[in-house]
Amino acid sequence: MAGERESSVPPAHRDSDNGFWKTALSLGEPADRSHEGAQCGVRPLDWLIDIFGEDLGFWLGYLGNGKHLAWYASFRFTILAAIFGALIGLGFGLGGAGLLRARFRPLRIAGLAYANIVRGVPDVLFFLFFPLAFEQLVEWLISTQVCSPEAVAARAGSWPPCMEANWFLSTTEYLILASVSLGIVYGAFTANVINGAMNAVPKGQLEAARAYGFSRNQVFWRFQVRQMWIYALPGLSNVWMLLIKSTSLLSLLQIPDIVLWAERLGAPNFVPTAGLVHPDWRWRYYLVLFVFYIILTFLSERGFAWLRERVGRGVVAEG
Amino acid sequence: MKHILLAAAFAAAMTGGAAAQTVRLGTEGAYAPWNFVNDAGEVDGFEIELGNELCVRAALECEWVVNEWDTIIPNLLAGNYDAIIAGMSITDERKETIDFSDNYYPPDPSKFAVAGDSAVDFDAMSGLKIGVQGATIQAAYAEATFGAGNTILSFETADQSIADLSAGNVDVVLADGGYLDPIVNASGGALKIAGPDVMIGGGVGAGLRKDDDELEGKLNAAIAAMKADGSLNELIVKWFDPPNTF
Amino acid sequence: MQPFLDDIATLAKPSLYNIYFAAASIPLGFVLAVALALVRASRSRIGSSLAGAYIYAFRGSPLFIQLFMFYSLALSLNISVWKPNGLDWLVLHPLFLGTFVLALNTTAYSAEIFYGALKTLPRGEIEAARAFGLSRFQTFRAVVWPNMLRLAWPAYTNEVVFLFHATTLVYFTLPVINEQKDLMNKAGELFERDYNAFLHFSVAALYFLAISLAIFFLSNLVYRRLMHHLGPAEAKPRVRFAPKYLR
Repeated sequence: MAGERESSVPPAHRDSDNGFWKTALSLGEPADRSHEGAQCGVRPLDWLIDIFGEDLGFWLGYLGNGKHLAWYASFRFTILAAIFGALIGLGFGLGGAGLLRARFRPLRIAGLAYANIVRGVPDVLFFLFFPLAFEQLVEWLISTQVCSPEAVAARAGSWPPCMEANWFLSTTEYLILASVSLGIVYGAFTANVINGAMNAVPKGQLEAARAYGFSRNQVFWRFQVRQMWIYALPGLSNVWMLLIKSTSLLSLLQIPDIVLWAERLGAPNFVPTAGLVHPDWRWRYYLVLFVFYIILTFLSERGFAWLRERVGRGVVAEG
Repeated sequence: MKHILLAAAFAAAMTGGAAAQTVRLGTEGAYAPWNFVNDAGEVDGFEIELGNELCVRAALECEWVVNEWDTIIPNLLAGNYDAIIAGMSITDERKETIDFSDNYYPPDPSKFAVAGDSAVDFDAMSGLKIGVQGATIQAAYAEATFGAGNTILSFETADQSIADLSAGNVDVVLADGGYLDPIVNASGGALKIAGPDVMIGGGVGAGLRKDDDELEGKLNAAIAAMKADGSLNELIVKWFDPPNTF
Repeated sequence: MQPFLDDIATLAKPSLYNIYFAAASIPLGFVLAVALALVRASRSRIGSSLAGAYIYAFRGSPLFIQLFMFYSLALSLNISVWKPNGLDWLVLHPLFLGTFVLALNTTAYSAEIFYGALKTLPRGEIEAARAFGLSRFQTFRAVVWPNMLRLAWPAYTNEVVFLFHATTLVYFTLPVINEQKDLMNKAGELFERDYNAFLHFSVAALYFLAISLAIFFLSNLVYRRLMHHLGPAEAKPRVRFAPKYLR
């Protein structure tokens, strides 16, 4: 691990003496960069440079450097958190709706408490609180098993109770926890949507099914639940839109997501040894993310429209 | 239930034991030339080279963890990494919560950076917007010294304070000289160092948990060896302009 | 119990920052949103599609990124625009810029709500008013405006609560000036001192819940007034505490 750093010093450093990176300060003068542009480029792009000239080559090289590649790769965190957050949210939503519709009063109250408390506080608060609380809970559970009383006493007032009980969270664990907290937050909204949709299924259809001799259970699963999805779709699409916007908060949990990399890439750099010298470019990177989310919203809308048409097929609208 | 938990805990303890040979080094990755993420997307800088060399000398397997500055001490205490190597100055206040290794960078005066055409009167500072990085010695110093009569803006990273300085949103940035000098030198006159140097910290060392004496001993031995054979000074000369050697 | 009470006291002042951001941006957003909704519903093709694009962009992207983007954008215009006009102290101040971006954001969401209400207004009522010889403006005052407000009020209340929650994002993105810290900032700071996530975040959550409830209560008073024309015999609708998924 240690020795590998030496060799991985990027070409940028070796170039730093010939003035290439310094000229990048005055980006308005492409002539200054002359043929050196090719040096920063990725080899396979040379043919593009031949066609479009040095400027394009320079920018392609810049946009293709390791830091940018890391940024592009970090989009996976956003997508993964959205997908798993949605799946977990659907689970919590179904569970929550079950509670809300329970015959047993305490369960109903639990459902109401879940739905209203989660929706009554900001998603950010929950997003930060849940992973911390969960980590502490796990560490506490471990500590009851592995910590000696002396070790606990020695570390009084700090966390975890003893170092053996420490649970190391890497990006993967944080991503899982982030997905779960997204799921819990948006599950509360989903529960409401599903509850409403269950009520929206026309009573007449259910009664007709009963009259045809289907059992209560069959009516519930084959008619009410199946029909429910049609009525729930508009609400679910709303929740999904909220959820994808919340994925921008991943960086608050130390996940190196698109927002964190945008900040790193855009931050002004004055020191040639640290990479390309450039002024503050942050708003350009944030603009890219701004557009990215709008496109994501657009695609989601189209997806839900398609879905609605599909599930709506063969359903006779009331009235 | 208890058995399952025990087994899980045992597994955790086992991996914990195996991981004990892997020392995690926490850094910020946004404080060039100390530590930063280079254009290749990797952590790089004086402290990265130093940390890797220290690990070689102490025969430790090391890996880097990038963590935002304002939570860097809490996450050390929480065990997300074992040492902070992030240009952290040794101060008495921090010593209340964490331990430090011997310094690997000599006491470094903090400096004021201003715009190249600025004429701030450092004898009578008032009505100024002073930029600092949050949770730094400079932030505490600025709050205590200039808090009355001036506006203190704290930023998440030092680079953000420089961005606001060059955009004219703050009048003065107070930061480590070792951080400001290369920036000012490279700015081509857009920024300059002005006013008095302020001695705040007692050199830069690795931050460690208080109960981690073993790691502290190993790092101290490696730092002493690097000081003795001059390789630490070589690294400082390589990364800092002007260098502040031992 | 004592630490709990201490936290309530410590977080009282920070909560004022959240209340300030909401209180400053909501009236501005309300006025802009009504105007935008009217443009959106107008016959002007260009106006309508521009308003639509604005609404789509700001509803389709996270506030978190909008805040980051507008701060760095404002910063990059500082030397060329704000400074020469002596506006830099105002524009880049989080108490202004945060409010401004929140207002831009809530304008889009509220405009969508009002636009939806405008679309469902009964055409007959408007035509009747025009037939009675009321001018365009009179029709708006007497028919469109009150009806739109009535239809949109429950959804708009939700939006206000959501915007209040969204104020937490301001200090995650903009620089913190002196001791100007909001609930989340302060709760985070307290947490970093003793790692008691349950205590500090619960108290912050309690503040948010309490203020959200207060918003619903106030909104209900307004709604009752809006629905004043309904006689005592008719069941009066109420705005219930049920933050919805409308945002």
